[in-house]
Amino acid sequence: MDASYSIISVTGTVLLGLIVSLWLPGIERKFVHARIQQRIGPPVSSPGLMAVLKFFYKKTIEPCSPLPRLYNSLPIIGFISALLILLFLIPPMYTFGALASLVAVVGFLKIEEVIYVFMGSLSRSVMSLRMPFPDLAKGAKHPNVQRYFLEDLSAMRAFRLIAFGSFPIYIALFVPAVMAGSISIGDIVAYQAANGPVLFTLAGVIGTVAFFIGYMILLNEYPFAILKTKADVIEGPYMEYASKYRAFVYITRGFLMFTLGCLFSVLFIGVPPNILSLGILVNLAAAAIFPVIMAVFSAFAPVFTFKQFYPVTAAASVIGVLALVVAFV
Amino acid sequence: MDGKREIIETEITMGTVHSAAIEPYRVRLFVEDEIVRDAEITVGVNHRGIERIMEGLPVEKANSLTEKVCGICSGVHLWNSVLVAEKGLGVEIPERASYIRIIVGELERLHSHLLYLAHGNEVLGHETFSMRLFYIRETVMELLRLIGGNRVQYGVPIIGGIRPRADLDEMKIQRISEGMDFIEEKVEAFAERFTSDPMVMSRITGVCPISRKDALRLHVTGPTLRATGVEFDLRTEMPCYEPFEFDIITQDGGDVRANLLMRVLEIFESIKIIRQALRDLPDGRVVDRNWEMQDTGIVKSYVEAPRGRLYHSYAIEDGRVRGSIIRTPSMSNIGAMQYACIGHHITDAQLGIVQCDPCFTCTDRAIEIIDLNAER
Repeated sequence: MDASYSIISVTGTVLLGLIVSLWLPGIERKFVHARIQQRIGPPVSSPGLMAVLKFFYKKTIEPCSPLPRLYNSLPIIGFISALLILLFLIPPMYTFGALASLVAVVGFLKIEEVIYVFMGSLSRSVMSLRMPFPDLAKGAKHPNVQRYFLEDLSAMRAFRLIAFGSFPIYIALFVPAVMAGSISIGDIVAYQAANGPVLFTLAGVIGTVAFFIGYMILLNEYPFAILKTKADVIEGPYMEYASKYRAFVYITRGFLMFTLGCLFSVLFIGVPPNILSLGILVNLAAAAIFPVIMAVFSAFAPVFTFKQFYPVTAAASVIGVLALVVAFV
Repeated sequence: MDGKREIIETEITMGTVHSAAIEPYRVRLFVEDEIVRDAEITVGVNHRGIERIMEGLPVEKANSLTEKVCGICSGVHLWNSVLVAEKGLGVEIPERASYIRIIVGELERLHSHLLYLAHGNEVLGHETFSMRLFYIRETVMELLRLIGGNRVQYGVPIIGGIRPRADLDEMKIQRISEGMDFIEEKVEAFAERFTSDPMVMSRITGVCPISRKDALRLHVTGPTLRATGVEFDLRTEMPCYEPFEFDIITQDGGDVRANLLMRVLEIFESIKIIRQALRDLPDGRVVDRNWEMQDTGIVKSYVEAPRGRLYHSYAIEDGRVRGSIIRTPSMSNIGAMQYACIGHHITDAQLGIVQCDPCFTCTDRAIEIIDLNAER
């Protein structure tokens, strides 16, 4: 593989991913949610592309945060971590050894999860701002109690998600690794080139179920949207984002959808994303199908509380473990 | 706190502007690890001083002003306010007017209950159900526009009957009848889908229950009271409802599930009443103008609004309103809203408030609380 091929392959694939990811939220909203909810829905370009453009041209306002610069930089960090995952899925990058392995993928995904904790901790929106005077009116209950912001709640929830919510997807990621006998992405792709896609095995099918549930949890989509439940924390970690920083929130979400779709096609189908190969169509299909299925599920689900979240996550983790056991066998 | 342990770790304040709340109100939740240990609801943001504005206004003007108390159950406020004047002045209204008032009242109950279900589902996080319920509700809104000329403030009752433009001709009767068929079919389909959804049922069953005993202790009213198993509906005591056959719907448990199903089943009862009214609609005039304005003492009137018992009272002096008092059902239900949250998750707390069908904009009015034990 010469240098020019590698450069074109990597930059082209990343650019294509960026372009496609801008349309994924629109596909989800327009063609699935709107159809199910019997409404016209937004233009397909609106949620992912036009909204982003609009936000880039909005006036930048200072967020209510103790560390506004750090708070504003978090979506960019999230975007970079998603970008790095995609980057090391592209074949020319397999030469980077440990970075092109499942350990690195898990690490970058962890960054994606941890930033929500920081976002929530650093946001101080007006939505739960204390009154300019203490609640000492006659009859007021429990004056001078320590107050939380709504975003603090979402930060705590993000912390719990790190603890247990991400189990299903991480367990599912290692199903192909067990079958290939290696955590290197290059080896997993090579194994499937020789033995056929993992998806067409029993372990692969079970693992796909766990992966999909984990995918929904990672994207904080209904019914797993506990970080941004409208009934209590509203936008949660994203509450204070405005202008270009909110645009990055949108870009990151769309790009993560694309990246996770590519990750699935690499690990379970054995087709790495490469703009110079026809296999890219498989990646694009995976990147488009996952949000569509997710939108169907989310359109018919209420938001969970921990009472439902724990058992569902536990069940998904058990499914993942079952897939691992089957993969071992 | 009813003898509960007094450990309050933190406070979460929601409001006065919050996406789960249709109207501005402030909820202080005192939580331990996301479990609500105590709650306090504060209203007052929307206080518009309607009773004060009504003071000294001509009766007809004051009556039409009461329709602005609420944007959901506007018609029932006007109806009750008109009933106060009619009681005080001894006005007998034509039977046809009474039937049309009931049709409008029940249509309003339909739209209020459908709004409640849609809002409940939105708080639940089920946008699809919410959208579909708003879609069904649109039919009711259009029927109200057909009758009264407006979707929200239709201004049907006047002293002595109803406005002549709200009289029902064959076309309107046909349209209302078709509308009832449509709503019945759609709500049946929704109810079937809703009750068979395990995810939804797991989110609402056993959440924020109010026992029968607590409901009576907290003076809960309306469907929220009936959802606890208390068989009480003020419509059975209203003379204008005597010609109609309908069941008093009750549920057990008083939880979110019971409250949601309560409204679903009441929709069918309202449809039943509307169909009877359309079938038996008497001929004749819709307004009796043979009455004289005179002074009255304080006259009280109660009606069963979509949210429960609604109270209006005022005196008439020189054709003008004096000492108007309005007490809306949500005023009675606030205690239950605070109580229902306790012991439940924060996300469920909003659901517990919404299950009581709050209408804080109607409720916002100046009150004076007198502690009877203060002197002892």
